[in-house]
Amino acid sequence: MQFPQGKPPVGIIFDSAMGSRIDDVLAMALMYGLDGKNEARVVSVSSSRSNVSSAAMCEAIGRFYAGAASGDFGFVGRLLPVGLAADGRIGDETPMVTVPLAKKTEDGKPVYNHGIHSLMDTAETPALLRNAFTSQYDQNCIVVLAGPATNLVRVLGLPDAKDWITRKVRMLVVVAGDFAGGPAEFNVKADIASMQKLFAEWPTQIVVAGAELGAWLKYPASSIETDFAYAKDHPVVDAYRAFRAMPYDAAAPGVAAVLAAIRPKENYFKMSPSGVVKVLADGRTEFAPSATGKHQYLVTDPEQKEKVLKVMVEVVSAKPVPKAPRFRRPVDKKAVDPAKAVVPDTAPKP
Amino acid sequence: MITPKALPRRTFLRGLGAAIALPVLDAMAPAFASQLPGKAPVRMGFVYVPNGMDIRNWTLDYEGKLQGLSRIMAPLEPFKEDMIVFGNLTHNNGRALLDGAGDHGRCCGSYLTGVQPKKTAVDIHCGISCDQIVANQIGNQTRFPSLELGMEDGRQAGDCDSGYSCAYTNNLAWRSETQALPPILDPRALFERLFGVDAGLTPEQKSRRNKFRRSILDFVTDDTKKLEGNLGPTDKRKLDEYLSSIREIERQLERAEKDNAQIDPHMAKPYGIPADFAEHFKLMTDMLTVAMQADLSRVFTFLVTREGTSRSYRELGIPDGHHPLTHHRNEPALMEKVSQINTYHVKQFAGWVEKLKSIKEGNSSLLDNSMIVYGAGLTDGNRHNHEDLPTVMVGKGGNYFKTGRRVVVRRETPMSNLFLSMMDRMGVHAEHFGDSTGPVNGLNLG
Repeated sequence: MQFPQGKPPVGIIFDSAMGSRIDDVLAMALMYGLDGKNEARVVSVSSSRSNVSSAAMCEAIGRFYAGAASGDFGFVGRLLPVGLAADGRIGDETPMVTVPLAKKTEDGKPVYNHGIHSLMDTAETPALLRNAFTSQYDQNCIVVLAGPATNLVRVLGLPDAKDWITRKVRMLVVVAGDFAGGPAEFNVKADIASMQKLFAEWPTQIVVAGAELGAWLKYPASSIETDFAYAKDHPVVDAYRAFRAMPYDAAAPGVAAVLAAIRPKENYFKMSPSGVVKVLADGRTEFAPSATGKHQYLVTDPEQKEKVLKVMVEVVSAKPVPKAPRFRRPVDKKAVDPAKAVVPDTAPKP
Repeated sequence: MITPKALPRRTFLRGLGAAIALPVLDAMAPAFASQLPGKAPVRMGFVYVPNGMDIRNWTLDYEGKLQGLSRIMAPLEPFKEDMIVFGNLTHNNGRALLDGAGDHGRCCGSYLTGVQPKKTAVDIHCGISCDQIVANQIGNQTRFPSLELGMEDGRQAGDCDSGYSCAYTNNLAWRSETQALPPILDPRALFERLFGVDAGLTPEQKSRRNKFRRSILDFVTDDTKKLEGNLGPTDKRKLDEYLSSIREIERQLERAEKDNAQIDPHMAKPYGIPADFAEHFKLMTDMLTVAMQADLSRVFTFLVTREGTSRSYRELGIPDGHHPLTHHRNEPALMEKVSQINTYHVKQFAGWVEKLKSIKEGNSSLLDNSMIVYGAGLTDGNRHNHEDLPTVMVGKGGNYFKTGRRVVVRRETPMSNLFLSMMDRMGVHAEHFGDSTGPVNGLNLG
């Protein structure tokens, strides 16, 4: 068994449109912070923004949290391939991605390492996401959709997808829409048909973090100025500064969504009654309460605001901690000569 | 238009207990004119080598037109224009996926099926392999729906890898989810299957035939003479070359049996199987060539040695077992030996490719009309990973694939996608296969 002491922490499958909103970078920082605390595992990262820089930024952040600050690379889980939509629906590069990636050291090398230089260095998203699902224990996986539904809907098109999604996924968290009567939100507008299909066909519970949540919960610029000083260069700081002129507080609905999904017992937010989210043709979202509905949206709780802000800043700005693999075969210290080393117990028999 | 003089494509030279199929002759042209020229049947095959590769010496660092090949692929250098080297193809179902150790069992069981084998040594469960899906669809057009070849004996039951049945490590082809098709290992058995019709002989007749062993060609002498009288000079030469190649195989078998008589019994080599790896490989592929040439079958699998094998290669000066060597822990001396074994395998394969290329079929060659995947179910035998699997396809699949290049697909692209494309080329149009997400685009000449 890989995890002899029971199920591992819940796996997070994260799909965004990296480059559209700084919230995506903050949400990734939060995920890796929770991963560092062994509260969750990041098992898949993908982007529906069709440019290579978007995927490269995802990988650069992953590698940073894999040990760039400590110099300790090697946690395999963070070197998984990054999925990228190749349909060109939204494709432009943005400064929050290009500026950090272009940053060089004094000797001219990239500050943030990544291995993505062409489309072929990225993963085909339906296969990547399906493969990530198949490697999770039943009901031990949470999907966080922080971008358009383009990639997830393609997964729904694979054979038997609804069966294995139902088996593996505890819930889908969607950062999209507006439940305070606002206009069409970016993630919906970018691919309305996919978002309609997602809400109509996704087989598990869906929890939605709408735009109104982002207006209520903002990541403070002051934290960016002070809390990341443990690293001379930090991709979150560089992306944040490049996204908009400082100082500004960034809407963080994605961070809220991840927090709510990973720590449901903390009750950081209230939940709407069960119901059905409907995506209108113009991209606006409506919610209809229904006892049999599988959808809910997060509702702000003024009493929790201070606590949520504190936790958000603490985890997002946490210094990466090098992690040992959760399972490692004991080293045979007697076998000094590799030629005489004990062959692993996986050795096939004749 | 079929003329009365047209020689049927399914003509056999018949004699006592023997029936030899014929290659494509010009005299047959009117009988199946729609297939000529360059319209010879397309053949699909899979040659599998075990324990992954020393991937440092396999991988190419470029895309597009094939230039210099890596050290392991170097024997294929003369055939660069006839092959596609793939990058990034992945078998997710070879991965643990919560089933723990047993990568050898999984990678071989999933290789042509695209599904994750059930971890069991008893109630095996896998999937129908792509070769069998094709064989089920088009197998009725040839004498044998498919051929399964191998070179190393192995159990078909019991636990061969951390709880995985030997059925997974020792077979490539799966007729159903629960029935693997064991490969033929013995060249003599393959020869008799392809060219001998023993069903009508009594044990006494068989015994008598062995006692006064003659060439199988002797049994069809009368038929051969009759046929030669109706052939033009080109066909006569072609027929002569073809029958000579059968005779040559017989001679090799005789030599092999003679050599085996001198083998130390401790080695327990089955009768008829050459002691020499290269000779065994050549015998098997020579017969496969004749089978392809004579259109006895269009689908084959060849498990060179079983997955996880610990076979040694003393002919290369490597007494160590193959599998233990692959767990080299980055020790250069051990990695070097793995590279040597990998290259040795490719060298045998290249010898066969050369032969396929030399055989003309109309305006093309037997190689042109084939698509043969050579590869492994593990990428790096030391790491036991399943992404970017070492994969080469030789042949143009009937002037269909654009060869002479390295095609790098996107990461995590299922290997099943390539097999789906090959099935499509064989006329079997499946919507999906195994864990496929769609065919590999951009492979054909367009």
